[in-house]
This record gives sequence, C-alpha cells and structure tokens, in this order.
Amino acid sequence: MVDDQKKALHFYTEVLGFIKKRDIPMGEHSWLTVVGPQEPDGTELLLEPMGFEPARVFQKALFDAGIPANMFQVKDIQAEYQRLQGLGVVFKMPPTQMGPSTIATFADTCGNYIQIFQV
Amino acid sequence: MTFYEQEVRRLSILMYPRPELSRRIIQAKEYIDLHFQGPVDLGSIAGKAFLSKFHFLRLFKLHYGMTPHQYLTAVRLREARRLLAEGLPVSQVCGAVGFDSVSSFKGLFKRYWGRTPSTLKKAILETGPAGKV
Repeated sequence: MVDDQKKALHFYTEVLGFIKKRDIPMGEHSWLTVVGPQEPDGTELLLEPMGFEPARVFQKALFDAGIPANMFQVKDIQAEYQRLQGLGVVFKMPPTQMGPSTIATFADTCGNYIQIFQV
Repeated sequence: MTFYEQEVRRLSILMYPRPELSRRIIQAKEYIDLHFQGPVDLGSIAGKAFLSKFHFLRLFKLHYGMTPHQYLTAVRLREARRLLAEGLPVSQVCGAVGFDSVSSFKGLFKRYWGRTPSTLKKAILETGPAGKV
C-alpha cells in the first residue's frame, strides 16, 4: 500500500525502473499497477492507495520496525545500491551479507521499506 | 537499530556462524552458475571448497535449500526454458544446457516446468515468455 499514488508511480517507474501497466480511475484513487520491463505481461505490482484506516496502522508498525513490505531480486546489488543512491534513494540498510544472500533496504517515499537482494 | 536489522543480525549469527564457510559455498554456487553447460563434477567442487563431499552437500543445502545436484539441474532447466523461448530445437537445447540424454532431459523438464519441452515451447512462442504456461 502507498500513501500517495502519484508519488508512488514516479518512484516505481522513474527510480526503480518499472513500467506503468494500468492506471484506471477509481474515484479519488486509481487502479494503478506496474510491471517489470522484461515481463510486460508478467506479475503486476499493485500500488494500492491507503484507503483503509487500520491498514495505515499496520503499515506504520512495519515501517517503524524496519520491516520491508516487498522485495525484489537484483543481479548485482552493489551496482544497484550505487545507482539508486545516485538517484537520491535513502537506504535504511546498506548491502549486508546474510549467508548466501546480500540484502539492502530503502524507503519507497510512500510509507514502505523495500528490500533488494542478490542470491 | 530497528527490529528488522536486529533480526537480520540474529539470524545471520544463528544460521551462518562462519562467514568464511558461507563464502566458499557461494563460490561453489557461482561455479555452477558459470559452468552448468558442461560436465560438472560436484565432488571436485567440494574439493575446491576444501570440504568433504558430505560436508559440502550439507552446507550447500543449508544455504540454498537444495542439494548441489538439484541446484545444477534447476539452473540447466531454467536456461533450457529461455533457449526454447528463443525457438531453438529441443535436442539442441538439451545439449546446450549440459544434459547428455534427451529422454532424461524431457523427463526432468516436465517434472520442473509441468510440461514437456515441446509443448512449453509451443505455448511460449504462441503467447510470449510470460504467457500462461
């Protein structure tokens, strides 16, 4: 869930590199999804508006605990870390080795932490 | 430090107490990623990691949730799907990803992807790589 769909669309497309798939008006919000550029017909990521008050409490609890709401695999986490930092992304956790994987988390500017990982 | 960072640290110490061993297992996995097209001798990979075959197998499974042989097979079958999507013939794909026997390849492929190479190739070519296959 995102607290601002316009901001979320900018972040997920212009910064993370997703492509907008659907933007269908639904009253004050829209049915907004993005997809990976390599799989335009693959799984869609729904940028769901924060329209349910208890969800806001849950999202804040996750955020305060630093728990990522979503995670994406990357091929080279160090390169992605540098690229995103260059675009002004604020990392909560820099690339950190955890056994076979390396993980890093950053804020998506819409109330969530996102984790990227390399295995 | 957030709860999540504390948990990452706690689990790292609990699950992977020896980073040097983890590094060697990662190197072995990367070796498989690079050399899966040819014959891969898992015993020699264990030796390169300075581990007994049994210890290597146990640690690999701890790190990746599957045995090195299962991982090798999965890497080959994922690449096979990619090559089939490019339109290569099944027999050519079989050899290109390191399988010796076409019948064994077809059986493993069906178990992994749920369809034979030829039916999945047909479906991909008709509906695109992200088609409902």
